[in-house]
Formats: sequence, structure tokens, C-alpha cells
Amino acid sequence: EDALLPAPQNISILSTNMKHFLTWSPVMVQGETVTYSVEFQGEYEREHVNESWIPICECSRITATVCNITEDISATVAYNLRVRADVGARRSEWGTLKGFFNRITTSLTPPLMKVIADGYHLLVELQDMGPAFQFYVLYWKKGQESRMQHKLVKEVSSVIHLDTMEAGPDYCVKAQTYVEVINRSSSFSQTQCVRAQGGRSMWL
Amino acid sequence: TAGNKIFHFGPCRIAMSVTEIRSGFTAIKANIQARDPIKTLSILSYPHSLHKVKSSDRCCIIHRLFNFYVDKVFKHCKTEDSYINRKISSIANSFLSVKRKLGQCHEQNKCLCGQGSAEKFQQILANYEGLNVTSAAIKSLGELDILLDWME
Repeated sequence: EDALLPAPQNISILSTNMKHFLTWSPVMVQGETVTYSVEFQGEYEREHVNESWIPICECSRITATVCNITEDISATVAYNLRVRADVGARRSEWGTLKGFFNRITTSLTPPLMKVIADGYHLLVELQDMGPAFQFYVLYWKKGQESRMQHKLVKEVSSVIHLDTMEAGPDYCVKAQTYVEVINRSSSFSQTQCVRAQGGRSMWL
Repeated sequence: TAGNKIFHFGPCRIAMSVTEIRSGFTAIKANIQARDPIKTLSILSYPHSLHKVKSSDRCCIIHRLFNFYVDKVFKHCKTEDSYINRKISSIANSFLSVKRKLGQCHEQNKCLCGQGSAEKFQQILANYEGLNVTSAAIKSLGELDILLDWME
């Protein structure tokens, strides 16, 4: 009689910048291809629909040991996740994530940022991180940190104009992301400083 | 941005990610409305639209409507289509977290219910119970944009 197929182990979530992935250790069966299927359960399903589970069809019978669950984790509530293995007609029990996952715990990294001195114009280019992200940009004349100015960038489309610079002093910029749906911010990026000089861009 | 919007219903202040709810609904709207054979009836807008609701009644009506959708509607909208079911789950879980916030306002007496809101909500319930459960639930889900538009 076939040995029982073990349930997937070491099930965990990797969540960075509101992108959420479920990962697990492979189930090893000599000479066989093991496939996996993932399901999720939100608080609504637990409380109102008899603890029902919903399959993620993009992660049904996959051979990979990772599943992108971002699309389905789209509310700020506690989610349950589980995965099982299949080999031929043999099927494992469900392996369930220990504890819940709430997107409020995603880790937020500082944004990639490029500061440009275009003649006397202080510009910044920010990495597009998706619709959930806004950016809080701080900029100041070097040595005048007390007179820091800020700009909230709600949508990253192209280069953002921050200020018109005087010739001579350095201008410094740093930025952090802000995710409104979870009301959290990343730490600030490294500070970058530039200086205007005539019409030529100048990097420091 | 897919961000929160702060809604002020009198003293009750609620942060709500309407963009996410609306994008989930937009993804399934055509499919859900196609499943609603009774085009001549409305759950939310018959006989009067939500716009007739007095501003003092808004909070209570919204609180009751979120309870209505969470407790009565979403669970009867299961389809044979996994994609649709996943989007309904995403809307339902978003509604659940907003319902809780509205409940807190209600407990703190910031979301009081007057006669006007009671009558309006009774009408909505009567419209709902006038149909069989699945038709009523699918029709109510299909009218979600009426609720979202009115709220915004």
C-alpha cells in the first residue's frame, strides 16, 4: 500500500513592499514529479462562510514551491493559507501556515531614487512601486537641515520637479514610501546631494 | 493610488480603501450583472435612491448596509468561476474590516440611527426578501457601485 504522502513543511510568507509570496519545502519522492496546490481563507470566510477555503488557480498543481498570493491578499484582515502535495493519484494532507498573515506586516524598503540637477532645477526620479505606494520626499540646502521642505508624491509618472536651485550650495534629497491602505511608511532612502552649475548637470 | 480615503459621517471618521473595493468590483461587474435576470427591480434604489437619505442618517445607513452585505449578500454569491469567487472574497474581506470600524463608531454613539434610516433600511430589506436568496444576493452585489458612488 503506497506510503502516505507527507504534507509540505516549512510553510512561510515572504512579503515585501505589498508583494506577498507563500513558500514551502519540497516534498521528496524518488523518481516522481510532485505538484502542489494552494488555498487561502480570509477572515470573512472564517466568520461567515463556514471556514471555507478558496483555491488559487494559478497555484494549482504547480511544481514550484512558491506561490504569488498578492492578488488574493487584498484586504487588511488576517488570512490563513495552506498547501498540499500530489503525486499521481496520491495526495498529502494540507500543510497550513502557522499563524495568520495580515498584509499590515509587509516589510517596506526605502524607494530607489535618483536626484538630478538639470541646470538650476532640482529633480528626482522615483521607482514606480505600484498603485498602493505614495512617496514622501524631503529636500533641503546642505547645512540648512532646519529649513527642510517636503513634497508628497501620490503618483509616480515621470521626473518630479522639487525646487529651483541657487548656484553654489549643495541641495540634498531623501525619500520614504507611504502605503495608505496599511497606514505605514518605509525608512528613508540614502540622502543624495547635487549642485547646480550653469546649464550642466553635476553629480556629487 | 490604491489608497485609503477618509470618510466623515458626522463624528464618525472611517479610513476605507474604496479604490481596492471598486477595482475588485469592476473586475466582476459585467459577469455578475449578466447573472441578474430581473433588470426592472432594484434592491438599493427602489422606490427612492440612496441620495434621498438625510445626511444625519448616512452613517447609520452605511453601517447597516455593510452589515447587510457581510451578513446576507456575499455568502450567497458563490459561482462556478474561481476568479469571480476570489474577487468576491477580496471585496467581502474589505467590507468586513470596514464593518468593524463602523461598529466601533456605533458603539461610541457616533453613528446613531434615526427613524429615517430605519425606514430606508427596512425598504431595502423588503426589496431583498422579495426575491429568492440567490437572485437577491447577485442583484445586490451587482448594485455595489450604486453604494460606492453614493458613499463617495
